[in-house]
Amino acid sequence: MSAVSSSSWLYGAIQRRRNRGLGGLYLIVAAFLILYAVLFPGILSVGGFSKFTQNWFPLALVTMAQALLMLNGGITLAIGPLVSLGAVIAATTMDGVFGVPGGIVAVALTGLAIGAVIGAIVAHLRLPAIIVTLAGSFIITGVALILLPRPGGFIPGWLSNTLAGHTPVAFLLLVVVLVAWKAFLATPLGLGIYAAGDNPVGAFRSGVPVERAKVVAFALSGLLAALAGLFVAAQTGSGDPVIGTPFTLNSIAAAVLGGVGFLGGKGTMRGAICGSLLLSVMINVMFFLGFPPVAQYIAQGLIIVGAVAVPELLKAWRAKR
Amino acid sequence: MKTFENNPSASLRSRLFASAAVAMGLLALSAGTASAAANCIKGDRKAPYTVGWANIYSVPTWMKQTEGTIAAEVEQLKKAGLVKDLMITDAQGNAQTQIQHIQSMIDANVDAIVVIAGSSNALDRVISDACDKGIAVVNFDSLVNTDKVTAKINTDSSEWGAGAAKWLSDQLGGKGKIIVMNGPAGISVSDDRRKGAQPVLDANPGLEIITETNTEYNAAPAQEAMTSLLFANPEIDGVLSLGGALSAGSVMAFDRQGREQVPITGENARQFLELWKEKGLKGWATMQPNWLGALSVYTAVQALEGKDVPAFVKVPLPVIDDSTIDGYLARADKFPADGYIYSDYDQALFDKLLAQK
Repeated sequence: MSAVSSSSWLYGAIQRRRNRGLGGLYLIVAAFLILYAVLFPGILSVGGFSKFTQNWFPLALVTMAQALLMLNGGITLAIGPLVSLGAVIAATTMDGVFGVPGGIVAVALTGLAIGAVIGAIVAHLRLPAIIVTLAGSFIITGVALILLPRPGGFIPGWLSNTLAGHTPVAFLLLVVVLVAWKAFLATPLGLGIYAAGDNPVGAFRSGVPVERAKVVAFALSGLLAALAGLFVAAQTGSGDPVIGTPFTLNSIAAAVLGGVGFLGGKGTMRGAICGSLLLSVMINVMFFLGFPPVAQYIAQGLIIVGAVAVPELLKAWRAKR
Repeated sequence: MKTFENNPSASLRSRLFASAAVAMGLLALSAGTASAAANCIKGDRKAPYTVGWANIYSVPTWMKQTEGTIAAEVEQLKKAGLVKDLMITDAQGNAQTQIQHIQSMIDANVDAIVVIAGSSNALDRVISDACDKGIAVVNFDSLVNTDKVTAKINTDSSEWGAGAAKWLSDQLGGKGKIIVMNGPAGISVSDDRRKGAQPVLDANPGLEIITETNTEYNAAPAQEAMTSLLFANPEIDGVLSLGGALSAGSVMAFDRQGREQVPITGENARQFLELWKEKGLKGWATMQPNWLGALSVYTAVQALEGKDVPAFVKVPLPVIDDSTIDGYLARADKFPADGYIYSDYDQALFDKLLAQK
């Protein structure tokens, strides 16, 4: 994962510190993955791996969409509605004249545009992101319900089978997205998103276009959420105007679990991705352990608290030593 | 679905016809060769069976009661040596999680899956995967779109809405100002009930709909919604409530505001039935029987045992009116205070329902 070539000792030390905080989380995620593989060896087959990663993939995308904004010092409550809207647009446009490519472009442009508008309002009118995205979430939900009042629409079977069949296409797409994110971080604008989140005034004085970075962050976040919706539509073979709702809270949970702070600049994308993986693998592990639903609610809470507490305890233990 | 019907491209249409023709051929072939096995059943699974119950959300009382009937049925089938295990999952309202759970059930190689769908379309693909593996899939209450299931079991939501609207219209002599209370927007059940009511409303132009509400099927949000509507509307002649505890919320709102109660429709929520009796309401109610869950488990096991079961089991809607309400209230203490008083059921009833064609 160390794509950063500038190996000056200062940067190296910072990276080490950031990774060390995540050590506990990595351990927990690894433990769960091993437990899962023991309980269900089929996960190690291509088909099993594909199905598991397909269920994780949309959560990973929305977690990136959320973490991207939290790193920039923002937050969005419009993730779920954007997923729904992405799914609805995909399911209503793909039988049109422009077919599947037209549908993909329509979803991507909608996500980018809505994100950019929200970003512009937040950045230039200086309104709190939480309020703007909350208002936005109502509007987006309304639009999705107007476009498709009840579940339905059409996704070509071959697209569903390609993205969510018995091959790990979804996982490969996730790798591509992560590589693209790394590449983007190497650009001044990409770095600017972090810098503006960590210390807006400092970033501004160093020549970072703070407002533009914010708009770009919101636009990319919207794009990722809408694409997650496209994937959900392909996975389910149809559109559903309310399917995305639970993603809002889950995206925040996964990002925070992954060590991304609410105040901006703190955290890493790899941590957030790990957080989303934990949330997803946890569901399967609890199933195979045969937990009854009530115990699952409790276990889920304990695992999340544990995943946040263990790294802190490790830190304290290290400091004492 | 709508766009799919309106605008299929020519090539798609021909492909559909082609595959339909092939499917018909296969159907004829398999029907000709022998066995009347139900859909999805391959005959390679032997009792005792493992049953998976993929719930979308276990918290609402209706769901808890339904799970109760499922567990009771499984206990009976265990005694008969037909079932060995019941796996229960709760997707916490997340259709995406429900897909993950059903996938896990396939991975764990359960013999039967009983499911209430969190979305009418979202589960189609994972459920047809299960069907392909020879798992008996029985879907009830909230139905999926795909026909690759062993059986679908439900009452008719459209009749639900039509029956309620018909009764209210008769009560009001076909004219008056009414409020329509719906379940959540974007949910098939609430949409279907509302659509079912529409032809009756159209046929009675004297009925004027003041406004409609969309809330969760709970008393508190319904009461809140109705309270603000009462302030705004001095004249309301009837309430067309389409389910859950919406009616109870409405009655309580009328009561709190000191308004005279009006004719109201509803469901078998214990709270509503008790208010109905207590306030001497003009009321009508039907129900989504909780024992649909027990019937689904029974159906799945019957199918696994090689019996032919109908692809769609339509359960008639029981109606509660002034003549039958006492029978329901007499059993009220056996049900939770915020629960639903469902009609009695037994195996004979199940066999009768499964015998219908």
